[in-house]
Amino acid sequence: MDRKETIRYVIPLILVIAIVTAVILLGVASQNPDGFEWVLFDFAGVGEPEGGFEGIWSFLGDGVGVEIFTGITGIAAILLLGYGFFWLNARKTE
Amino acid sequence: MHVPDGVLPLWLLAIMYGISGLMLYISVRKINKKFDDRIVPYMGVLAAVIFAAQLVNFPVPPSSGNLVGSTLLAVMLGPWAGMLIIGMVLFIQALMGDGGLLTFGLNFFNMGVFSSLVGWAFALVLFKGLKRVTDEKKSVLVAAAIASFFVTVLAAFVLGLELLTVPGFGVTALSAITVVHVFIGIGEGVLTFVILLYFVKAKPQVISFLKESEVSEMAKVSMAASPTQQIES
Repeated sequence: MDRKETIRYVIPLILVIAIVTAVILLGVASQNPDGFEWVLFDFAGVGEPEGGFEGIWSFLGDGVGVEIFTGITGIAAILLLGYGFFWLNARKTE
Repeated sequence: MHVPDGVLPLWLLAIMYGISGLMLYISVRKINKKFDDRIVPYMGVLAAVIFAAQLVNFPVPPSSGNLVGSTLLAVMLGPWAGMLIIGMVLFIQALMGDGGLLTFGLNFFNMGVFSSLVGWAFALVLFKGLKRVTDEKKSVLVAAAIASFFVTVLAAFVLGLELLTVPGFGVTALSAITVVHVFIGIGEGVLTFVILLYFVKAKPQVISFLKESEVSEMAKVSMAASPTQQIES
């Protein structure tokens, strides 16, 4: 993979991380419940389940810094998982 | 559309784990047979792009929505690779508390299996029709955007059908979840168009519908020729 090719791979990733970080920092993302949550819990009035697994980072609490940290670690994790999984399962050309 | 644990009955979750497990097995077999390691870096990058895009909700008062990306991925890499990437994204999200671990099978079915297969098929039909009146690149952009809109609405309807097993969730709520996702689907279509536009300009070789694609053979679904071959014939 040449330099130009590498840049094409990396640009969308950097762009997306930058946009997500900016959106979180500026508080631009909607805080409304998503479509499913709104219909089920608000519109239909079904009780929201309590307790259960809240995620591996739940002990960190809430906040902008935590959101950025969990977002970036998630992006890194999915990048590694995606790359590793397809590398292991793809046909080797050499 | 990420359903948490504790909402749906366990028998439904078990059935969905079974169906999703089978589809996961089939998609891994397809990847084993068809995908070569030249496009592996793109798989990781696309998974990360979809994950990051799902972190941000756009407003659809009184609710909100986010990109799912299954049609986008299916148009680019085919439905098998698309659903696998969505499965990985949902797995990491479930570990981070967005969508339950018990509901992983159901979420994977709705956003991965159903959306990838239906989105791919619908986009392909639209692409073949549009290609007769305009060029290939414009056709793929419009086809993917329209297909992703309809798939978002259809997937919400399917989720609504599943939610009918929850006491208190009736036909009115089923209509509401479908209507809300008409507006969320518009956002999905616009985001699909914008992200695909980047790849059409920067790396059209990874869009399976295009003639210059390097992945159309890998992306093809069994019993059918690759999209490019189908159009040429």
